[in-house]
Amino acid sequence: MNQSHPKPREQWGTRMGLIMAMAANAVGLGNFLRFPVQCVNNGGGAFMIPYFVAFILLGIPLMWIEWGIGRFGGKYGHGTTPGMFHYLWKHPLAKYIGAIGLLIPFALVVYYNYIVSWTLAYSVFSFTGKYAGIMNFQGMADFLAAYQGKVSNNYFPSIATAFLFFCITHFSMMWIVSHGVSKGIERLAKIAMPLIFVFGIILVIRVLFLGTPDPKFPGNNIANGFGFIWNPDFSMLKQSKVWLAATGQIFFTLSVGFGAIQTYASYLKPKDDVVLSGLATSATNEFCEVILGGSIAIPVMVAFFGLAQTQTIAASGAFDLGFFAMPVIFQKMAFGNLFGTIWFFLLFLAGITSSVAMAQPMMAFLQEEFKMTRKIAAWIVGTMTFFFTLPVIFFLKHGFLNEIDFWIGTFGLVVFAILEVVLFIWVFGGKNAWKEINDGADIRLPKFILPIMKYVTLAYLVVLMVFWFIQDGWGVMTMKGVAAADYPYIWFARFMLIGIGICMIFLVRIAWQKKHIIQQRIPE
Amino acid sequence: MTTGGWIFIALSWSFILVLMIASFVRVLRKK
Repeated sequence: MNQSHPKPREQWGTRMGLIMAMAANAVGLGNFLRFPVQCVNNGGGAFMIPYFVAFILLGIPLMWIEWGIGRFGGKYGHGTTPGMFHYLWKHPLAKYIGAIGLLIPFALVVYYNYIVSWTLAYSVFSFTGKYAGIMNFQGMADFLAAYQGKVSNNYFPSIATAFLFFCITHFSMMWIVSHGVSKGIERLAKIAMPLIFVFGIILVIRVLFLGTPDPKFPGNNIANGFGFIWNPDFSMLKQSKVWLAATGQIFFTLSVGFGAIQTYASYLKPKDDVVLSGLATSATNEFCEVILGGSIAIPVMVAFFGLAQTQTIAASGAFDLGFFAMPVIFQKMAFGNLFGTIWFFLLFLAGITSSVAMAQPMMAFLQEEFKMTRKIAAWIVGTMTFFFTLPVIFFLKHGFLNEIDFWIGTFGLVVFAILEVVLFIWVFGGKNAWKEINDGADIRLPKFILPIMKYVTLAYLVVLMVFWFIQDGWGVMTMKGVAAADYPYIWFARFMLIGIGICMIFLVRIAWQKKHIIQQRIPE
Repeated sequence: MTTGGWIFIALSWSFILVLMIASFVRVLRKK
């Protein structure tokens, strides 16, 4: 074992707390906004066929792989992928590949937390009636643009309000992680997840009883809303884009490829189950996505605005649905202020629990590899992410956030997932990986899961990576459609990411030079 | 909503609920 760890590592307080924390990590804004939009745009009910195929062949196996890697690393005192990969592959390069598992969650926090702060702000605006009276989508688009500092109008003369809500969100996140795994993250999850369930169920019940809100438009009703999302269009299944959209959705929704699941799983005891807990986590996420997420935004939109407008909003993306359409819809409902507050606070809870998970790998790295106290690590991570978020906030209109989101939040995730599958299943070895996953398992996994992990899951990931690069990557790389005036900002975003990546590699190098006795043990 | 829509919603929700309930029942039993 690593001799440089005098104090025992932190551990989860209870098994249910761990599952709640893992589920809270997976449940995010995408469950309630991205999923219904993807479903509507890709064949309705028929979308669920490729969706569940990807869930079984990609999502759950990858979930078990990440849990397995995490618990394996935890045995050696490592809560982050540089240390975990170091023990999976006896090669000097392994720890540097693991540095990607620090870069991704760190860079994600930098912009995701800012988006989460919008949901908190909108929850407050909904409660106070700040956007009351704006009854069309364009009006809400102008409201959001002013909030984000893109324009100035009567609602927001400057970006100060957005900055204030970002500060509140950011310090909340850091306050939680500074209290540690059991007393901070687990406690938050035990409060947030039940609230997400309760708020979600309240909203679904409200939606179900809406019926036909305006009798003048009998076609605009909840049944048609559910029909819009669930009526299958099997002809869409012939299109490869539908299968890729479903695969991408499963990949995003389970929060795999982030580096966060490994860190959470590293706080397990060596003989704790990962198979059943991983399955329970995945199922909880699917409940929030398919049952709650699929029953709120789209059905209510159809009931109030009809199929044509819903189609337009869905085609323009999840973001427009959440921030332009939903505030208008809530104003048309009785007690709309209350339901709007609940809706945006639900999104905030879903988001902040994911932000906390993204901040934890860097926390664990500084605590374990540099022997920092939790408070000092929290201050450092908090300060660094705060300053890196500033250009995201102030250069938003120049495409700064979108640039980071593609390279880290889309392409980076799938590249990292491929690397971890190759290292765990192919380099560490299928037998070792299988033994590692099944050690202490409460349910027996059928043996055919291993070849699925080895070939099918990997093939899914490679196809996703190639497709995303061809579809979006080349255009993003060559700045297709970017205004010439925004080029410097895009380059700034790229250099910032490269800079953070180089810093991570240096930190890993320093940590290993200072403290590590390279152990040659590879389990038989 | 068409019959196909009802079938897909019923199958999807059932699959998820069964998976969730079964896994949590096992978790609670093993606790």
